[in-house]
Amino acid sequence: MRELDASLAQVRNAWIAGRSALESAPPAWREAVGEDELALIAIAAHAGDVLTQRGPGAALIDRPLLPQVNAPFMPEALRARFRRLLVRPKNQASLEQQLIAFTTARGYAAHPGDWLPDAKDEWAPDLYAPWLDWIRADARTVAPSEDDITAENYDQFSWTERRAALWALRATDPNMAREIIEARAAAEPAERRLRLIELLDNRLSEADREFLASLEKDRSDRVRARARTFLARLGHAGGTTALASELAEMVTLEKAGLINRRTRLRFAALKTPAQHQRRHELTQIVSLAELAAALGVTEMQLVELPEWQLDEAHAFVTMTAETGSDEVVRALLENLIRIREAPLGVLLPLTTRLTMEERTALAPSLIQLDGHTFEATLALVGDQLGGVPLSALTAAPSFGALGPNIEAAAGADDNQRRNAMGILEQVLPRIGLLLDNASATTLIAQITGWGLSPAEPLLDMLHFNAALIPETTP
Amino acid sequence: MTLTRSAIEAMAPDQGSLSAASALLKAAKWPVRAQAGALIWGECQGSGANPYRVVAETADIGSKCTCPSRKFPCKHALALMWMFVDDSATFEPGEIPAWVQDWMGRRRKGASAPATASAEPKSIALAQEETAKPADPAAEARKQASAAKRAQDTRKAVRAGLDDLDIWLADQLRGGLTVFVNEPGERCRRIAARLVDAKAGALAGRIDEMPSRLLALPTDERVDAVIMEFGKLVLLMRAWRATPDDPELRREVVSSETREDVLNNPEAPYVSATWEVLGERVSTRRDGLVSQATWLLQLDAQTPRFALLLDFFPASAGKRGAAFIAGDRFQAELVFYPASAPLRAVIASRSDAQGEHAWPAPPSNPLAAYAAFKLEAPWRIEAPLLLPQGRIAAEASGRAWWKAPSGAPLQLRTAPPPLALGADISKAAALWDGARLGMIAAQSNWGRIDFDA
Repeated sequence: MRELDASLAQVRNAWIAGRSALESAPPAWREAVGEDELALIAIAAHAGDVLTQRGPGAALIDRPLLPQVNAPFMPEALRARFRRLLVRPKNQASLEQQLIAFTTARGYAAHPGDWLPDAKDEWAPDLYAPWLDWIRADARTVAPSEDDITAENYDQFSWTERRAALWALRATDPNMAREIIEARAAAEPAERRLRLIELLDNRLSEADREFLASLEKDRSDRVRARARTFLARLGHAGGTTALASELAEMVTLEKAGLINRRTRLRFAALKTPAQHQRRHELTQIVSLAELAAALGVTEMQLVELPEWQLDEAHAFVTMTAETGSDEVVRALLENLIRIREAPLGVLLPLTTRLTMEERTALAPSLIQLDGHTFEATLALVGDQLGGVPLSALTAAPSFGALGPNIEAAAGADDNQRRNAMGILEQVLPRIGLLLDNASATTLIAQITGWGLSPAEPLLDMLHFNAALIPETTP
Repeated sequence: MTLTRSAIEAMAPDQGSLSAASALLKAAKWPVRAQAGALIWGECQGSGANPYRVVAETADIGSKCTCPSRKFPCKHALALMWMFVDDSATFEPGEIPAWVQDWMGRRRKGASAPATASAEPKSIALAQEETAKPADPAAEARKQASAAKRAQDTRKAVRAGLDDLDIWLADQLRGGLTVFVNEPGERCRRIAARLVDAKAGALAGRIDEMPSRLLALPTDERVDAVIMEFGKLVLLMRAWRATPDDPELRREVVSSETREDVLNNPEAPYVSATWEVLGERVSTRRDGLVSQATWLLQLDAQTPRFALLLDFFPASAGKRGAAFIAGDRFQAELVFYPASAPLRAVIASRSDAQGEHAWPAPPSNPLAAYAAFKLEAPWRIEAPLLLPQGRIAAEASGRAWWKAPSGAPLQLRTAPPPLALGADISKAAALWDGARLGMIAAQSNWGRIDFDA
């Protein structure tokens, strides 16, 4: 074979230079072709085609086999629709994250032939930790541990598995989880250290205080800042007293109500844009407890009658979500929902502090406030998708527009049809993600009764929901 | 709006469309006819290799067909609606397939009425009369004589064209292949134009596509690829000169037979079996045609047998829906275009697959099978292979290779889906061209894996 390669190389070099290759050809070929150069190229081509192959220019990397995940795959019959839903609709935001969360909430995993997380998909549910590790080529150096995570076997878990295991452990044994983090976080790089500290968000308690205080000496600004917000939630704010006093001078407290005199924190207009800018910056730095102290009121009083009209007011909600105690966060959320006028997007930082069960329970009341396309509800519900009963949806003001929009979408007026289709394209997939299984079936029947074809792709998410029976295998 | 015969007459673009639709009313031409609510759909075996998929909504009389006709509605849509009006019971109630849902998602409601329906009177009754007219034997004889004369003229013209191609090839060698690989586009275009004039349209198309095949390769591989392309051209030209009436060589050099020609050819091999759709490859050619290639694999066969359903349609006809879904299985009688290693085929009849079926066992050395194929048809650019158990591995740069436990690795033409790198592949179907492996589909520990073109 080496002789053949050498001969082909000589023949090729001759043709590259524009010379006759007959003299360079192997004797047998030369004898066969005589002076026929084109016959020689036919033989050379055939030899090159079936007798030689180029090898890799560098070493080939054998990836390990993609690991299994700990959930059943969705039924085969639903995969085609799932793939269709994954395709981002034209001019609309992708529903990939919500679709994956929805499928996970129903107890299923996506088939890897249909979806695999990207290396940057930090949002991927813990279920997919083995695939994230595989995608990131985050190979373990030792065999995986079958046991629960401990400080000793910590290295036997990949990074993604570690985070998932610690998050789960934090829910059942928060002290043990903290002790592992305390023992092993220092050896991790800053970004990962931060991610580990953030796990303390799950069941944060006074028992974590000492460890959080020790992080004041951490090398990373972001780790120190995160530790401070957690301490603030526990009522141990500190370090921004002077800034809190400055902010206190830029806001006012008023009393409202005739019988129940309640406190209202006002972000009154300031003289210059620079002052507004400064107030906004301070709102992002100062903790709720320190602001309350500077104003001489309790944290609870600051959230009694919340404002939402200004950017600073939004920043105040974020401040509360970041540094307020659980009790204050729930009070502010309740107050904002009660006044019914705040845009739902304002609530988002607060709902991230709720437990999964609280978010599920909150969904029906959020839908009542969602005046348009259920976009905000979807964001507020987070990963707790597919659990809203139809009764909650039908009571929502925006549900009333669904029937007329479907009729308009099938109507003769081009403008009305376009507008209605535009609304339905946004609303129906979101409703499909929110509703529970039985409600999805009922709503499909209702919608098709209004005139929308059952084959209409706008109903894809509802059909998917209706067909994906919750997985109950323990 | 209600779907009636009068409504069909009104929407038909012209009387010719109605007459053509009338000829399609035979049940045998429609392996699939189904309905769900106001939707009706079917698959019509038209003049192409792939069946046409037709869907209509009876409520607003919108319709869509995958045929390349510029008429709207086309004869297939008219025939579907006509059959439904005449006997809706022949349309089985069915689950709405994905391709129908896809059409529903993309259609613009209200835009389905023909913009310029002919004002001339159109009649279904007249269409049925025209279809029933007997053929004129004298006209048939004249037609055959004319075709024979044309074939003789074509042979003469092609021979002259191939003489020019010989000279052109020698010129490229004399000028040096380095010069050729630096400017293949203009050089190929010139000789391709000459071959079009010489009625060697198929060969012209192949040469016209050569630059894009070359430029898809890294620079250091292009000279070898040119040698391979030129060598195959020489083999093809010489084979045609020796037997210009050979149908396979005529197809490669001049043009393909029609579907009817293949069905009427007593030498065309018929194979009745269960087939799996491996995948579809669609590419737009420089001559403005889109080629739609559907690859099939015979299931339960002793040795691997592939079939290629190949259609061409103008790019200006717009995006065309896939004829099949990858992984579909059906029972069908395929008629292969006569060839030394038959590959291209048309579907003579088709029905649903019954029972369990498996891919055939792959050869232990797929490259030996490739070499055998190339002995039969050395001018072919690529050949389908069934690969045995193996893995796909990549270099650090990302270049992916097929690796079997034995034999040299084969480089993939395009990046595989991420799952393929983590799958234990038990069998795979691919196209090999001597330098790159175009994976189509694989069976693995994760089930079927489809590869993009």
